[in-house]
Amino acid sequence: MEPKEIDWNKLDAIIEEHRTQNWSLIPLLQEVQETCGYIPPESIEPIAEALNMYPAQVQGVITFYSGFSLKPKGKYVLKVCRGTACHVKGSRSILRYVKKELDLEEGETGEDYQFTLETVACLGACFLAPTMMVNRDYFGKLNPSKVSSVLGQYSKNKEDDG
Amino acid sequence: MESIFLIINGQKITCPSGTTIFEAAEQNGIKIPTLCYHPDLKPYGACRVCLVEDEKTGRLMASCVTPAAADMSILTDTPRILNHRRNIVRLMMAEHPESCIVCSKGNRCELRKIAADLGVGDSGLYPMPNYTPFEQLNPFITRDLSKCILCGKCIRADHELVVTGAIDYNHRGFQSRPATLYEKPLEDSICTFCGTCVSICPTGALSVKNTRYVGTPERETNSICGFCGAGCSLTMGVADQKIVEVNPSKRKISVNGATLCMRGHFANDFINSADRLTRPMLRSQTRSHDENSDDTHIPASWEDAFEIITTRLSEIKREHGPDSIAFVGSSKCSNEENFLFQKIARDIFETRNVVNGGYASGQKLLSYIDEITHGSCRVTTLSDLEDAEVIFVINSDLEQTVPVAGYHVKRAAKKGARVIVIDAFKTDLAALSSLWIRPDLSVNKQINTSDLVNALARRVVAIDSQDKDFINQYTEGFDPYIASFSNFDFQKIAEQSKLSVEIFDQAVELIKGRKVAFVIGADTLNYPDGNQLIDAVMNFSFLTGSIGAKGSGIYVPAAENNLIGAMDMGAVPDLLPGRVKIASEKDKGLDLDAFIESAESGQVKAAYIMGENLLRSLPQPDRVEAALQKLEFLVVQDIVRNRTTKIADVILPGAAVYEKYGSFTNMEGRIQTFGPVVSPPGDARADWDILAQVAKVMGHPEQYQKIEKIRQEIRRVVPMYQGLGNHQQDWIKNSETGNPFSANNTKFSFLPALPAGSETFDASYPFMAKISSPGFHLGSGTRTSRSERIQAYDRKGEIELSSADCRDLGLNGSGQVRVKSKFGTLEREFKENNRLPGGHILIPMAVNNNDAMQLVGLTSKEQSDSCGWTVSRVSIEKI
Repeated sequence: MEPKEIDWNKLDAIIEEHRTQNWSLIPLLQEVQETCGYIPPESIEPIAEALNMYPAQVQGVITFYSGFSLKPKGKYVLKVCRGTACHVKGSRSILRYVKKELDLEEGETGEDYQFTLETVACLGACFLAPTMMVNRDYFGKLNPSKVSSVLGQYSKNKEDDG
Repeated sequence: MESIFLIINGQKITCPSGTTIFEAAEQNGIKIPTLCYHPDLKPYGACRVCLVEDEKTGRLMASCVTPAAADMSILTDTPRILNHRRNIVRLMMAEHPESCIVCSKGNRCELRKIAADLGVGDSGLYPMPNYTPFEQLNPFITRDLSKCILCGKCIRADHELVVTGAIDYNHRGFQSRPATLYEKPLEDSICTFCGTCVSICPTGALSVKNTRYVGTPERETNSICGFCGAGCSLTMGVADQKIVEVNPSKRKISVNGATLCMRGHFANDFINSADRLTRPMLRSQTRSHDENSDDTHIPASWEDAFEIITTRLSEIKREHGPDSIAFVGSSKCSNEENFLFQKIARDIFETRNVVNGGYASGQKLLSYIDEITHGSCRVTTLSDLEDAEVIFVINSDLEQTVPVAGYHVKRAAKKGARVIVIDAFKTDLAALSSLWIRPDLSVNKQINTSDLVNALARRVVAIDSQDKDFINQYTEGFDPYIASFSNFDFQKIAEQSKLSVEIFDQAVELIKGRKVAFVIGADTLNYPDGNQLIDAVMNFSFLTGSIGAKGSGIYVPAAENNLIGAMDMGAVPDLLPGRVKIASEKDKGLDLDAFIESAESGQVKAAYIMGENLLRSLPQPDRVEAALQKLEFLVVQDIVRNRTTKIADVILPGAAVYEKYGSFTNMEGRIQTFGPVVSPPGDARADWDILAQVAKVMGHPEQYQKIEKIRQEIRRVVPMYQGLGNHQQDWIKNSETGNPFSANNTKFSFLPALPAGSETFDASYPFMAKISSPGFHLGSGTRTSRSERIQAYDRKGEIELSSADCRDLGLNGSGQVRVKSKFGTLEREFKENNRLPGGHILIPMAVNNNDAMQLVGLTSKEQSDSCGWTVSRVSIEKI
């Protein structure tokens, strides 16, 4: 399956909106990331042109921040916390379990663009350790069966049933 | 400016406010080590090696980014600082591969030097080198980013000095490295291979690629680049009597500072070409078995060669009169050589016929500008461009012709100068200009840049924002000039060029009330509307008061190193040394096309060509060859075997720039002297020395054993060059009397504005082909095509067409096309280039033995149907 088609009209509109603004690179990139789920590499040059920057500079900013991605991500981005508290509470096993369930390594996106698996240093929810996020939702006090039910909730089959 | 007093290492120091501690120390002879500081770059503070300590507070700070403040007391080398510095260098070394022994940077590596100074041998840390793939597919630059210390100099040089933006940091932390867009190899990026980053890199991360092992330079000598008219200062590294490396020189005053271009940096290896001429040669009737001879020529002694030249030329002069001999000099040869050359022609052989290869490509234009401005606009300093308010670029792809001048304009644009570009092509400057006026010729089919400039001038007058004081004080003929606008239908011109009224208004808005620096292509007169265009530009400059003030004037980017000097020395048909006009039409010599015509008709019987490969550089090469073969006697003095030497009766091996003494005058009017870096190959001799011998054998009373002798004479005869040779650099002098600023009655004259001529459009040749050198070649490419690196670069010079034209012609992807003009046919590969407008094609010169010249007619511009030498009407078909 292909990732979601890029809506170039929408992208152009975002770029145009920021054309005359100073210091608008990061807000622009955030908007693109939000709209497309990632920053299509093809958009680097138009963005640079609009903001009167060099394309290599724009790329440098994108690759500097882990919040920006040049690769399409899955519909659901899983962030498994690997912070100290979660580690103590067994997040290594949680991660191993998630990897096995999704058949993905860290940083990978499934071929069906349903899931992307990432790890983060701390989600700031240590009282819920071990924890992970799916897009903007937190899931805490995880154990393998809870992970299974969370994954099931977002899995493709489930959606199709619904 | 306010002064600041501070103490560094106990020494009392005064510096202007805003100076950094590092600079204040350096100016007072206190050395602080650094890896990321460069005087031409903005302070950055990346490497932290320049740490110093404030004695009062004990604070450690990077001296290169900390401004000096009053009453500071700075210590630069306490044990505490040395300890920190050592640790910083140890960390760098831990990340650095242990490859110093095989690193091409060798003893010139700044990291290695600082490590040695600090006594850091073994870092004592766990080595964790950042292995990054080695990249060296292109023939110019080898990138080994595992040696990168992230000082950012390459990126800053790219952004601040060259203003290309090919690279920037990518990723973060340990992964961070300079990268191109999409991390493509350099040759697939917008990198221009100017090599500025290579020279500025403190480690072996970036190094020059050589096609074979050349060794480490044993010594370094300064010289001046012999390619374009920028006149960059070079430092050439020599090993085994060969030039193996070129870098921008560290001279305080130079045109180029820390920058260079692809040609200057990488193409000067032509000097080691196997095609170099090393012995005088004579044409032989029989085949020779000597290994040094080619099929048609046999080696000879200098004495024999001189003997034959002087006897034959004297005979021909006696028999057919002096004007049956023509002398063709070169805008690539030095001032001294061109001076002596025209002297031999005019004084010894008494012929009128002196010309040089640069006459058609700029000198005619330059001497016309000089005439109109009464010699008051001879010096056009490039650094002044960076202070210009408005830069108006007309018909000039600076980035390709004189790249270093292009950097100046781009830096000015970055600083906020208003750059206006008129060009049908989307040049690099057009892309970053404040306003790009792009005439669309699909309806009109005529080049009418001059009409557009006149239209702008008319609008400036219409809103009454001409520089009235300047016009009243320094000019005449304003009213007739305004009246001449009635010859135009500006409405129609704008419509035909598909330009809106707004774009003219925007341009006038940028210009009004400001002085303008005009950059006008040296080949302007080779365009169909060239004569009208230069008049339009001159009028515009008077209208805006843009002569004689800093950051204004007429800049002509000379494509060749000594275009101005060869003219100033009088190696042109209509000027004597010092730009003294030959008044009478009948005393003027033949220009290049008239020379070829006279050779065809048999009026010219002999020619002495110095440093010009006419069979490659002139239009219609086959016709030129036939004409020159009709000559009874042809002497060619050159540095490499080429098509012109092949048909010569006598071949004299000259010396390349870096093998002799001399001086060049660059496009700014800066006279720069240079001395030899290496000696000429074999028996080859400096060209001025060869000419001196010719004069001597001809019995000329003056003996020129030393170059200084020629310089003395130039200083005496040419007041403009009174400073020649006294210093490494000097400037040509503006005419002191007789110009409007010297308070007599001379005035600048407005010229009547004339509409661009209309050629009859021939539908069988519907395309307008522009023929110009790509940035990696110079002119016709006689020298650059002999550079091993340029050969390895192997660019085919595809004919470039707009996407729309490709579609219409049924061309997709790649393949061959046949281009036909009235004069010839050319077959080559094509490629799409969406920077071109429809109806225009671009044919790169210099590649493939410069066969593009077959498409251009060797006709004089005065002929009514002539397009000039830069553009040609053509048809295209798919093969």
